[in-house]
Amino acid sequence: MDLVQLQRQFVDYKTSLYHEGFLDEQFTQLQELQDENNPDFVVEVVSLFFEDSERLLNELARALEQQNIDYKRIDAHVHQLKGSSSSIGAQRVQKVCIAFRNYCEEQNVEGCLKCLQQVRHEYSLVKTKLESLFQLEQQILTAGGSFPM
Amino acid sequence: MELMKSENIVQDRQPQPQEEEEIMQQEEEEEQRFHVLAVDDSVIDRKLLEKLLKASSYQVTCVESGEKALEYLGLLHHSSPASSSSSQHHHQETQGHKVNLIMTDFSMPGTSGYDLLKRIKGSSWKDVPVVVMSSENVPSRISMCLEGGAEEFMLKPLQLSDLHKIQAHLLKSLPHS
Repeated sequence: MDLVQLQRQFVDYKTSLYHEGFLDEQFTQLQELQDENNPDFVVEVVSLFFEDSERLLNELARALEQQNIDYKRIDAHVHQLKGSSSSIGAQRVQKVCIAFRNYCEEQNVEGCLKCLQQVRHEYSLVKTKLESLFQLEQQILTAGGSFPM
Repeated sequence: MELMKSENIVQDRQPQPQEEEEIMQQEEEEEQRFHVLAVDDSVIDRKLLEKLLKASSYQVTCVESGEKALEYLGLLHHSSPASSSSSQHHHQETQGHKVNLIMTDFSMPGTSGYDLLKRIKGSSWKDVPVVVMSSENVPSRISMCLEGGAEEFMLKPLQLSDLHKIQAHLLKSLPHS
């Protein structure tokens, strides 16, 4: 694929991610913060998000397996996940976290389990999509292109 | 303290060890930049805040908790808020650096942003502006922080466009001539 085709594919893909609500305005902000001094800034922040989220998701699963569920603890973890997803613009993950916190407040274990499943799903979707986006970006750089286009 | 500006001009001088010159210039530049202490338990938010502030050429120190912030400010072992003569000379300086602004997240485990705010306002650092940040827009929380002495309450995630508010507080904190 030539550079022009790659660039078009990149733009289309990125647009679709916003359109489908995977990413929001905040992701754009991240990109605006990136510069020649920090050319990997977005990838670095997103990698931190991946690490942090995986840790939180494991904690959540563990907490929901307990005999006596500690809803405060669960809420604290979801609050963190909500915050970090909001900070990178992972809108769909953030939205599930809001619902999740409501179930925590109600101490509704069914609701919490359902949300955990949903948030896991949304997380893995956005992870895959961001990785594809970064891959496209890398291909463009390799083909001699540059950003912003 | 005298800033030996004229002695740092390189042009017509005898050659000096390059590194020494650069280090001196760097230290001078750092002294002249505003220094922000950023407090947040989220590693992602710390990274974002650091980048945002550095994009405005501020010097930034990030710490991960209220306790670490108190430690940095030399307030960790003071049980009473009164400033003793030994802490007077620490006024607005710690570890050789001034602090022009403190930005803290509200919800942190242990010492919360509000706790930190109160400790700061009851110490020799009370004149340093404190900005509290939160991902949640809770009016009672906002008024509590403002009444507690916070200059500003900002919603996360912060954006580049929010920086002008920070700059306004930093400029206010400059000594009046």
